[in-house]
Amino acid sequence: MSTLLTHIAISDGKIKRSSLEVLSHCKQLADQNGHTVEAVIVAPEASSFTDEVQKYGASKVYTVEDPIFKNHMNTPVLKALAKVMEQANPYVFAFASTEGTKDIMGALAANQQAAVLPDVSAFKFTDDGIQAKRPVMAAKIMANTEAKGDTILVSVRSGSYDLNESPTEAEVVNIDFSMDEGELKATLREIISASGDTIDLNEAEAIVAAGRGVKDEEGQKLISELAEILNAGIGASRALTEAGVYDPSLQIGQTGKVVSPQLYIAVGISGAIQHVAGMANSKVIVAVNKDADAPIFDVADYGIVGDLYKVLPPFIEEIKKIKG
Amino acid sequence: MWEGQHINTISMDDKFDCIVIGGGVAGLAAAMTLARNNMKFLLIERGEFAGSKNVSGGVLWGHDLAKLVPNYWEEKDGGWERFINHRRLTLIDEQSSFSLDFKSSHFNQPPYSGVVVLRSKFDNWLAGKVQEAIDASNFAMDSFIATNIKVDEVLMENDKAVGIKTGDDEFHAESVIIAEGVNNLLTRQVGLQDKYVPADHMLTGIKEIIRFDQDVLEHKFQLNGLSGMSNEFVGWATDGVEGGGFLYTNRDTISLGLVLGIKDMREKKKSPHDVLNHFKTHPVIADAIKGGEIVEYSAHVVSSGDKRAMPRELYKDGILLVGESANLLMNAGKAIQGMDYAMRSGILAAETIVKAKEKKDFTSATLKEYRAALDDSYVMKDINGFQDAVHLLHTDTMQHKIPNLVCDFGRQFFTIKNEPTPKSKDMLKGAIKRHSSLWELAKLGFKAGKSL
Amino acid sequence: MVPDVNAPIQIKEGKLIQDADRMILNAYDASAVEEALVLKEKHGGEVEVVSVGAAKASETIRKALAMGADKATHITTSGDELFDSGSYARILAAFFSDKEFDILSLGKQSQDTDSGLTGSMVAELLNLPYTTNAVGLEIEDGKLIVKRQGDTGQEMIELPTPCAVTCSNDMNEPRIPNLKGIMASKRKPVEQIEIDDLSMDDSALEANTQVVSYEEKPAREAGKKFEGEADEIAREVAQLLDTEANVL
Ligand SMILES: Cc1cc2nc3c(=O)[nH]c(=O)nc-3n(C[C@H](O)[C@H](O)[C@H](O)COP(=O)(O)OP(=O)(O)OC[C@H]3O[C@@H](n4cnc5c(N)ncnc54)[C@H](O)[C@@H]3O)c2cc1C
Ligand SMILES: Cc1cc2nc3c(=O)[nH]c(=O)nc-3n(C[C@H](O)[C@H](O)[C@H](O)COP(=O)(O)OP(=O)(O)OC[C@H]3O[C@@H](n4cnc5c(N)ncnc54)[C@H](O)[C@@H]3O)c2cc1C
Ligand SMILES: Nc1ncnc2c1ncn2[C@@H]1O[C@H](COP(=O)(O)O)[C@@H](O)[C@H]1O
Repeated sequence: MSTLLTHIAISDGKIKRSSLEVLSHCKQLADQNGHTVEAVIVAPEASSFTDEVQKYGASKVYTVEDPIFKNHMNTPVLKALAKVMEQANPYVFAFASTEGTKDIMGALAANQQAAVLPDVSAFKFTDDGIQAKRPVMAAKIMANTEAKGDTILVSVRSGSYDLNESPTEAEVVNIDFSMDEGELKATLREIISASGDTIDLNEAEAIVAAGRGVKDEEGQKLISELAEILNAGIGASRALTEAGVYDPSLQIGQTGKVVSPQLYIAVGISGAIQHVAGMANSKVIVAVNKDADAPIFDVADYGIVGDLYKVLPPFIEEIKKIKG
Repeated sequence: MWEGQHINTISMDDKFDCIVIGGGVAGLAAAMTLARNNMKFLLIERGEFAGSKNVSGGVLWGHDLAKLVPNYWEEKDGGWERFINHRRLTLIDEQSSFSLDFKSSHFNQPPYSGVVVLRSKFDNWLAGKVQEAIDASNFAMDSFIATNIKVDEVLMENDKAVGIKTGDDEFHAESVIIAEGVNNLLTRQVGLQDKYVPADHMLTGIKEIIRFDQDVLEHKFQLNGLSGMSNEFVGWATDGVEGGGFLYTNRDTISLGLVLGIKDMREKKKSPHDVLNHFKTHPVIADAIKGGEIVEYSAHVVSSGDKRAMPRELYKDGILLVGESANLLMNAGKAIQGMDYAMRSGILAAETIVKAKEKKDFTSATLKEYRAALDDSYVMKDINGFQDAVHLLHTDTMQHKIPNLVCDFGRQFFTIKNEPTPKSKDMLKGAIKRHSSLWELAKLGFKAGKSL
Repeated sequence: MVPDVNAPIQIKEGKLIQDADRMILNAYDASAVEEALVLKEKHGGEVEVVSVGAAKASETIRKALAMGADKATHITTSGDELFDSGSYARILAAFFSDKEFDILSLGKQSQDTDSGLTGSMVAELLNLPYTTNAVGLEIEDGKLIVKRQGDTGQEMIELPTPCAVTCSNDMNEPRIPNLKGIMASKRKPVEQIEIDDLSMDDSALEANTQVVSYEEKPAREAGKKFEGEADEIAREVAQLLDTEANVL
C-alpha cells in the first residue's frame, strides 16, 4: 500500500478548485488500487482549510503554517514540501498545474530524486509507475508518457477531472516550519499587479476572450459588457496582453493559461495554435471573426463570421433578453 | 576543439565575387556551382529557410540534379520523394477520361530522368548540400548562405551592379545573380524587365497535398518502392478556364493541382479554389483522392512560358538573371518544366561568373557568354522550338474541343451494347462533327505537327 | 533546439513523424538570448550559449551567435538517446558545476513538450537561487531583478548572483539576425564537447520518464458557421447557446 499525496493550493484565501479536482482523482485511483490519499496545505493559515479537504477523501492532511507563505516564494515552499515528503514518503505526489507549481516542480524533483510528469491531462497507475497523457507540440497531439521510480511527481491541468466528494475523517498533522532570512536566497521586492478581484480563469464557468480584432476602447467596452452579463472572466490573446491592453495574467494559450470553461467566446482572435492550445478543451466554443477562413472556426462550435462591432451589440442584447 | 578562433578578423567590407539573390532551385544551383569553383559568394534567401516560401512542387526533370549532387539517390534522406517511371496525359470531359499512358522500367535506374520533389523539403536539403560544398571550399569562412534576409535593392553604379542593400546594410560584390523567382521586383529595378507584364502571360498555380497511408497510396497508383507517377490533365479539369491539371505521387502524399490563366480566370470570374474543387468532383479525380486527407493548400504565380514575357536581356554589367526571374519555363502540355530550367540556368550563370573572375571582367562583355551558353543549351532551344506548342495549348480547340471529342469517341469505342457496332472511323467522324470540324482538326493537326 | 511545431506532423503506429525534419531555436530560448544581449548592451559582460544536442543543434547555436551571443559550447549527443528534462538538467549542471557565471538564463519551457522543468532542476542541482517565468530582467547593484509572471499578478524578485532564471517569450521580441550578424557568427568560437568529457555517472543520464506513444487528440466535432446579416446571426447564435448548447 502506498501513499498518494495531493498538494492543495490556496489562492486569495480559498482552495483552488483545480487542487480539489486532482484530489478527487487521486482518491478514486487510491480506492481502485488499495492506496491511501493524503493532502498537504502550505499556507499562512493552512489548518483553516483542513475541513474542506476532508470532504474529498484525504485520510491525512499535513499543514505547514507560516506567514512567509502569504506570497509565493520558491525557497520556503520547496523547503516545506521537502519536509512533508520526507515524512509522508509518498509514491505519487500530485499537484494542480499552476504557475506556483511550475516554479517548483523541477527543483523539488531534483531535490527528492523523483521522476516528474508536468502538466498532464490524465494519469493512472501502471505495474511499475504511472502513465500520463500530456498534450505536446502546442497541444496538437497527445503523448502517452510513463514515469518510473520510487517517487513520482505529477501536475495536472485544470479541468481534467470532475470534483467528487467522499467525506472522511482525516488526521491533521502540523509540520514544524521555520526559515531564516539567510536561507531565503531571494527577496520579494514588490507585488506589481494582482488581478485579485477579477474571476480566476481556471475556475470560470464562462470566458470572453479578446484578440487583436478588438481594436479600441469601444471594443473593450463590448467585451466587458458581454463578460458581465455572462458572469464570465475576461481572457485575452497574446496580441492584446503584449500590447498592454489586458493584464498579462489574462493571457490564454501556450505561454499563458490553459482553461476549460463551459463557454468560451473568442472575439477577434485568429486561432493560432499557441492560443488554441490554451482553450481547445472548453465545452462550447463561440468565435466571432470577420475572416471566414480564420483557423479559430476549426475549433468553434458556433462560428459567427462578421465584424465584432456589429455582431456583439445585438448578441449582448439577445443574451440579456434570454437571461431576463 | 575550437572551430575558428579569429573573431576579430571579420572583414565585412571585403567584396564578394558574387551575391546570389534567392534560395530557390535556380539560386541554389548557382551557389553550388560557385562553391565548387572556389568562389567567394553570398546567397540570400528571404524565407526563414530555403524552401519555406516555395510552395510549389512537382517533377524535377532531367539529370542536372546529379550534376549538382552526384549520386543523390544514395542519400538516406535525400530531398526527393519518388522517381518517375510512369507518365500519363489525360484528356477529360465531364464524365470520362482518355489517357495516353506510358510506363517503363527503362526509367528505373538512376540517374532518374525525373524525380518528384516537395520544395519546402527539397530546397532545404539542397541548401544543406551547398553548405557542405562551402565548407569544403577555399572560402569556408567567407561564403555564406543567409536566410530570413530580404534584399531590398540591387546597388547600381553607372548602370553596373556593385552589390545589394538589405535594411540599412550594403554589401558589395563583383556580380549579382538574380534568382528571385516569378515576382521579379529586382529584375525590374535593374531595368531588365518592363515594370508591367500583362496578366495574359501569367498563370496561377494552386495545389493541395493529400495524404494517404503509404501502402494505400502505393496500391492505388501501382507504385513499387520509390517509383512514382506523373499525370497531366487537359479539358474539363479547369472549368472552362485556360490551363491544365496535374497529379504527382510523393512518398505518402499526392500533389494535386492546377495552373490557370490569371487573365482568363479574372474574365470568367472564377477563383482558383473553386476551380480546384470543381476538378476534384471529376469521377477520375474523386476516385484517386478518396480516403485521403488534405494536409496543405498553397497557391503561387507561375509564368506561362510565353517568350513574349521574357526580360529584354538576361545579363547586364555585373548582373545575370536565372530561373523564373528570367521567365525560363515551359508548359507545352506534356509537362511543366521550370525547376530543371532554373537549375541549368543557375549552373550556366555561375560558370560564367567563374570565367569572369578569371578574366577579371564582370561587364556584359564576359557575362554575355551566359546568354550564349543558355541559347546553346536545351533550355533556350526548347523554349524557342516549342513556342507554337505553348500558344497552341492555350487555344480553345486544345482546351475544350479536343478533350471532349476524344472522350466522346472513347465512350463509343469502349461501349459494347449487344447491337451491331459501328466502324471506329464512323464513330470518330461523329465525334468530330459534334465537337469540331474536320477542317479545324486538319488545321490543328498541321499546327501540332509543326509545333511539337 | 526544438522541432518546429508549425511544420506538418503525423502519427504512425504511435510514432511521431515530422515531414520536414526541421529544428528551430526554442522561442523561449530566443527570448532568453535576446534579454541577455540587452543586459550586455547595458551593463557589459559576455553572452555564452550552451546547447546539448545532436549535430543539427549547431544550426540553432549559429542563430543565437548571429543574434549577437559571443561564444558557444555545444555538448554533443547522437540524437538517439532517450533523454528527458532530468537528463538534460543533470548534463547542464555537470557542465556548469566548475564554470563561473553571473546569470544562468534558460527558457521557461520547451516549445514542443512544454515541460518547463529543466530550469529549476539545474538551479536546484547547482544550489542557485532562481526564479521562473520571468517577463522582465534588470541588473541593479550586481543583483538580478526579475519581474515574474505569477498566477494572478506579477512580482519583483531580487536575486543575488550567481543565479538562474527561466524566461517567458512575453519578455521581449527576439531580434532577427541581420546579415552582418549572420556573417560574424561564422567566426565566433563554438567549443564542442562530448558528454563523456563531463565524467557523469551513466545513471545520471538515464531518463526516468519516457514517451511510449503518441496519439491524435480527439478532434472537436465540426461546428456550425454562421454567415450573413450581423444582427440576425448574432441573435440566432445567442438563442442556440440557450436552447441547444445549454450554456446560458
Ligand atoms: C512560443 C509561442 C507561445 C505563444 N503563446 C501564446 C499564448 O499563450 N496565447 C496567445 O494568445 N498567443 C500566443 N502566441 C502567439 C500566437 O502565435 C498568435 O500570434 C496570437 O495568438 C495572435 O493573437 P490574435 O489572434 O489576437 O491576433 P491576430 O492573429 O492578429 O488575429 C486577429 C483576428 O481578428 C480578426 N478581426 C480583426 N478585426 C475584426 C473585427 N472588426 N471583427 C471581427 N474580427 C476581426 C482578424 O480577422 C484576425 O483573425 C505564442 C506564440 C509563440 C511562438
Ligand atoms: C503549382 C505549380 C506547379 C509547378 N510544377 C512544376 C513541375 O512539376 N516541374 C517543374 O519543373 N516546375 C514546376 N513549377 C515551376 C517551378 O516551381 C518554378 O519554375 C521554379 O520554382 C523556379 O525556380 P526559381 O529558383 O527561379 O524561383 P523560386 O523557386 O520561386 O525561388 C525564388 C526564391 O527567391 C526568394 N526571393 C525572392 N525575392 C527575394 C529577395 N528580394 N530577397 C531574398 N530572397 C528573395 C524567394 O523567397 C524564393 O525562395 C510549378 C510551379 C507551380 C506554381
Ligand atoms: N538540450 C538542451 N540544451 C540546452 N538547454 C536545454 C536543453 N534542454 C532544455 N534546455 C533548457 O531548458 C528549457 C526547457 O526546459 P523543458 O521545458 O524542461 O524542456 C529550455 O528553454 C532551455 O533553456
